[in-house]
Amino acid sequence: MTPSFSSTLHRPEALSVTGRHLLDRRQFLARTATGLGGVALTSLLGAEGLLGATPPVIDPGHPYRPRSPHYEPRARRILVIFCAGAVSQLETWDYKPELIRQDGQPLVGGPAVTFQGPAGNLARPQYEFRPRGQSGKMISDLVPHLAEQVDDFAFLHSLTSKTNTHGPAENFLSTGFVPDGFPSLGAWVSYALGSENQDLPAFVAIPDPRGVPQASINNWGPGFLPAEFQGTSFSAKDPIRNLLPPDSVTPASDRAARALLQEINRRHLERNPDDGSLAARISSYELAARMQLSVPEIGDLSSEPAYVLRSYGADDTAHPNKASFARNCILARRLIERGVRFVQLFNGAYASGGALNWDGHNKLKEQYDVHAQIMDQPVAALIRDLRQRGLLEDTVVVWCTEFGRMPMFQKGAQGRDHNPDGFTCWLTGAGVQSGVSYGATDELGRKAVENVLSIHDLNATLLHLLGLDHEQLTYEHNGVSRRLTDVHGHVIRSVLV
Amino acid sequence: MPGPNRFRRAGGRVERWIWRGWGLLVGAVWFAVAAVADGSAASDHWAFRPLAAVRVPTPRDLTWACTPVDSFILTRLESVGLSPAPPTDRRTWMRRVSLDLIGLPPTPEQQEAFLRDEGSDAEARWVEFLLASPRYGERWAQYWLDLVRYADTHGFEVNTERPHAWPYRDYVIRALNEDRPFDRFVTEQLVGDSLGEDAATGFLVTAAALLPGQIGQDDASKRLARQDELTEIVHNVGEAFLGLSIGCARCHDHKFDPISQRDFFATQAFFAGVEYGDRPIRTPEAEARRQEAESLKPQLAEVESALTQFEPLARLNSEPRRESDPRRNEITFAAQSARVIRFTIHEANRHPNLGVIEPCLDEFEVFSAGPSATNLALASAGAKVSVSGSKVSDKHRPEHLTDGRYGNDHSWMSDEAGRGWVQIELPEARSIDRVVWGRDREGQFNDRLTTAYSLEVGLPGGALTTVAFVPPLRSAVSARRNTDRFVPVTTRRLRMTIMACTTLEPCLDELEVFTVGSNPTNVARLPGVRVTASGTFPESTEHRLEHLNDGQYGNDRSWISHEVGRGWVELEFPEPTLVDRVIWGRDRTGQFADRLPTTYRIEVQDEAGRWREVAGSTDRRAYEAEDKSPPPPALVGLESAERSEAERLLNHRRDLQRRLKELAQGPQVFGGIFKAPEVIRVLRRGDPEQPGDTVVPSRLTVLGAEPLTAEASDPERRRALAQWIVQSPLSARVWVNRVWQGHFGLGLVETANDFGLKGAAPSHPELLEWLAGEFQRAGGSLKHLHRLLVLSATYRQSSRIDPQAVAVDASDRLLWRFPSRRLEAETIRDSILAVNGRLDLKMGGPGFNLFRSRGGLDGFPPLETFTGDGLRRLIYSHKVRMERDAVFAAFDCPDAGQITGRRRQSTTPLQALNLFNSRFTLEESEVFAARVRADVGDAPEAQVRRAYQLALGREPEAVEARAILPVVKEQGLAPLCRALYNSSEFLVLP
Repeated sequence: MTPSFSSTLHRPEALSVTGRHLLDRRQFLARTATGLGGVALTSLLGAEGLLGATPPVIDPGHPYRPRSPHYEPRARRILVIFCAGAVSQLETWDYKPELIRQDGQPLVGGPAVTFQGPAGNLARPQYEFRPRGQSGKMISDLVPHLAEQVDDFAFLHSLTSKTNTHGPAENFLSTGFVPDGFPSLGAWVSYALGSENQDLPAFVAIPDPRGVPQASINNWGPGFLPAEFQGTSFSAKDPIRNLLPPDSVTPASDRAARALLQEINRRHLERNPDDGSLAARISSYELAARMQLSVPEIGDLSSEPAYVLRSYGADDTAHPNKASFARNCILARRLIERGVRFVQLFNGAYASGGALNWDGHNKLKEQYDVHAQIMDQPVAALIRDLRQRGLLEDTVVVWCTEFGRMPMFQKGAQGRDHNPDGFTCWLTGAGVQSGVSYGATDELGRKAVENVLSIHDLNATLLHLLGLDHEQLTYEHNGVSRRLTDVHGHVIRSVLV
Repeated sequence: MPGPNRFRRAGGRVERWIWRGWGLLVGAVWFAVAAVADGSAASDHWAFRPLAAVRVPTPRDLTWACTPVDSFILTRLESVGLSPAPPTDRRTWMRRVSLDLIGLPPTPEQQEAFLRDEGSDAEARWVEFLLASPRYGERWAQYWLDLVRYADTHGFEVNTERPHAWPYRDYVIRALNEDRPFDRFVTEQLVGDSLGEDAATGFLVTAAALLPGQIGQDDASKRLARQDELTEIVHNVGEAFLGLSIGCARCHDHKFDPISQRDFFATQAFFAGVEYGDRPIRTPEAEARRQEAESLKPQLAEVESALTQFEPLARLNSEPRRESDPRRNEITFAAQSARVIRFTIHEANRHPNLGVIEPCLDEFEVFSAGPSATNLALASAGAKVSVSGSKVSDKHRPEHLTDGRYGNDHSWMSDEAGRGWVQIELPEARSIDRVVWGRDREGQFNDRLTTAYSLEVGLPGGALTTVAFVPPLRSAVSARRNTDRFVPVTTRRLRMTIMACTTLEPCLDELEVFTVGSNPTNVARLPGVRVTASGTFPESTEHRLEHLNDGQYGNDRSWISHEVGRGWVELEFPEPTLVDRVIWGRDRTGQFADRLPTTYRIEVQDEAGRWREVAGSTDRRAYEAEDKSPPPPALVGLESAERSEAERLLNHRRDLQRRLKELAQGPQVFGGIFKAPEVIRVLRRGDPEQPGDTVVPSRLTVLGAEPLTAEASDPERRRALAQWIVQSPLSARVWVNRVWQGHFGLGLVETANDFGLKGAAPSHPELLEWLAGEFQRAGGSLKHLHRLLVLSATYRQSSRIDPQAVAVDASDRLLWRFPSRRLEAETIRDSILAVNGRLDLKMGGPGFNLFRSRGGLDGFPPLETFTGDGLRRLIYSHKVRMERDAVFAAFDCPDAGQITGRRRQSTTPLQALNLFNSRFTLEESEVFAARVRADVGDAPEAQVRRAYQLALGREPEAVEARAILPVVKEQGLAPLCRALYNSSEFLVLP
């Protein structure tokens, strides 16, 4: 073998950091045909530990084509149910009898000042807990519908966050970093895996009918990944922006513009026949046109039978927010059904003193009565529906929130302050054990003390279920091989099948 | 695998840098391997070495090169057996260089003139024209703003406006247009405050930052937020100027580069005196404003001092106070006939962070008496509303008081902290018996709540009757001076009993009791006054009972009780005296603020010998140690003469304050605020809760540490850093590489922000050295670099793809063609508007809105239709961090979250949907069509030709025209305009 300049240049992905993203199909073939010199180099680099991960190769004409994971996945799709505002673990999933006993006592050795100000005394959970399912798992009366399914869930009771402020903590949960501007979990997944449905976006974010969460589009942003991997946001109520032209455009005019564009672009491509980026641009318009047909169809719930609407609560006219959220849940199922890779379903909007999300600082019970009534039945129906349709065989579901709440009430208030030191999320579906609980907070629910988990561990686990090694999924940015999990994260194998 | 064992620079000749026969990759790999294997190799890393003198090579083909740059490029192409693409036609070159340098296509008229110009320097003159255009700075500043993540909001969850960010954006545009030399450009951004360029210091603080209200109240959260701020400055400096990710070494030594955690904090120490905030921009005009402000401040102090004599009467704690409800308050009174209803706000509650701020009312309702009560105070019912003053916004307007709509979005806000009045005038006198008011009946807000007020009703011209009065609390006790005024009373004995104080035993430096009248005398000082007390601090020369009425102020002449937290003092006058006020203080010199009585009562003895309370602390606000925004004095309870004088003073004070506020609003920039440097410590895992050794500012060890002393002042630190950066060979290499990247899409070093060991090796190492040297020789002139590059033969090549060359160098790293690529978001939007003639070229100033609201509960709903300022260039938009423009952000527009060294070039269906279907495109297409019709009239053939010329700079081919004309004839011109805006040819740098 005589290594030559040209043979090394055939491997621009080894030579260049970003050029590899621009590979088109032609180059890909050329590379595999003549890449012998590169193979030797690869092994050299591998031996030196310098090459690190091999990032996905994106075909610019077909950025959403399915790509292979690192290993056989347990799940092919993922549904994230994101409850914004920090759901209290103490009113839901994390049963603390000692807190009932110490109700009204000061927390000895506890913080005098928490996020919003002076801390008050310990306060018992505001809802009764009772054993549920075969497992007898203690769950509160706040979430009766979800409680029926606890035998299918894997609870993580010992999660921790790095910050006690909502926006940064949502960033951390969704991107693995506290600052703004890092790629979201969904962007990483669509970058790695593409999608199984070429007529729909690979990554759909469904905002709560009441508004977007605190960190807003950071939760589904591409960060520094190419823009095609950002989440597309739409809901049962609000369609994709610019999906269709305004009504003032007549169908004939619309067809005319499309035909003219095709004609101009075709001529242009003829003059520049070898430019793959021009072909990619034309195919992006074709995908857009297919989305114009498929997205309205998927958002049209009129074909859903009445019993489905009823089971989700989508027909609950007395509770419009609940009905509207339930319609989002049905939309989520339809997207999963059609092979959308990543669906992110939000419950709760922005900061509002707890009025629009789970941020129960002042009147926790009063506010949670409202929020749980919106969230519980629709989410429970969604999970049951996915299971009945067999979709949980290859879909993993995670219910999560950015942090938890303090066991004390705030001084002079009937609610709890932010607590990033111990909170609960749960998983269910493909690859996840049923009816298990992992990790624990202390007897008052103040801090995680047993098998303490970070958000990185949760994210590493989700990637793992999708067949992705979180240490191998990287992207070069400003001289750093960025990962979703920074330099941390361990797969939580104890809750996996 | 064969290869050199050690990289050598033979005789300093950089020609040997060429990776002969091995190609780039092997060299790069070898570099990395060598660096890791041998720690000392780090300082020998090519980017860290001094700039080398480079000889321009001589290619075999001597006819092609136009500039030295071409010789490097051609020699390299020849070495792999490639030849450059043929030159592109002049029309394409002109379009390319125009889009590249100013971000706008040439007009058909400019193009025609250029194509007719057969002078040998026609190209050079066109480039000069472009470089002299202010549009140039507007285009190239964007690269720098991407890099520093410029935005007009603070970021994170609340993402509130950063209203004075834009002067920095304008500074960058100006600096580029003026071709500021590189060293000056760098230095101004680090120490602009001492170079008359305050706006340039915006560089330091472009990152997202948590505002005080968003940081947790616990100290750990505050320390973390401060450390995060400092870290972001290191990110900016490291990546923008040095192409090094120093910021990555906060938590641990850098994984690849020779940057230790200590290096990170030593770099941070250069900024230990930098805080984020608004700083005044010092221009001559601003200086005049500053002087006026200085002259007004003593006047304000005088007025404020005069106001202190107007003390409201103390009220005793006899009647329960009416508490205001943020949602709804009902005031009922005996029915009476009225046309005028006046509601005067004396006091508002305290905002947790902002103190007392302007009160807000969402609706003011006046109900008719009788069985079918209706709200008479509706504008629709003919009621007129007037107010003391308003802070006006979409949500807050005086007319919202009477619009029948509740909630903060339809409310009125006073323009005075804690005060204001609202007056309703009914169309005719009516019998009324009830008023209802609220702050926010939707229950979202409970700040800005009126807590004390008077309600008066009556007829125009006549005196109004007070039907409700909730008095304000008196001011909190002050360590300096407190007045307790009461209804005049004749007495011989007066005592003050202290029930609580801030610390230790209570202290009074003087207790004065004044007679009534125009010349009040302090009767405590009269001869024959007897003083007694519960007890006195023993054996002290400073604190003695006789000091209580010795006429001397201050701690040294004071009385202190013998008991912790309590005590009393009593004055007995020689004869009964008519008195109406007591003035007392803890230390009127302002030195001491401890031992301050907070709970007390003042009593007098009547003739029958009974003690009667006349004043006390129960109607005072609670004492707060650091009350930064004390409420304005309340005038309620003053006698009418006093009151009108006080009103006059208050009005004067309000005018002065408004003027001072206006003057303070002179130009400001969100930039560095400088103070004495903090101590910087190495933080274990970057965690402020795990501090380690202190560090002093020092350049990176690998670049030859030169520590400053711990005593170095803030400006010394920043100056030293600027000097180091300017002199570093890294900064020149990084800079010329950015310019190369701007023109050719990729830099000679592909990793523009990483010149460290893991960064890509340069594709043309010698050329990079030569360019960096040339840049320095030209005095750091950016425009010199532009000329050199855009007038090169390399740049003039066609972008045609040669499959044979693809087989050798698929990614065109060797530049065998001009790398055509999709235009950036700003260029696309600006060009759309330029082509249809709507582009507004107004420069500078606050950004135009891309969203209907600027955050808050409304979020950022995008605007869809643009008029006025919305038709300016996109660089002048109000850039909301993380929120993406609804149409153009999909074109890889950075979100100002993280540093963007190079934009991605993705192709997505969302781009297609946005550009094809958005209201923006459709409206601009209509305007485009109208412009074409206005230009050439109604003949479809001429219209198509003109539309092509404007959008694509060419005539349609005959075959194209044949396909297009029937469609235009049937559907009009707008669909063609929409298609042209979406066409690959329009969107690609040719």
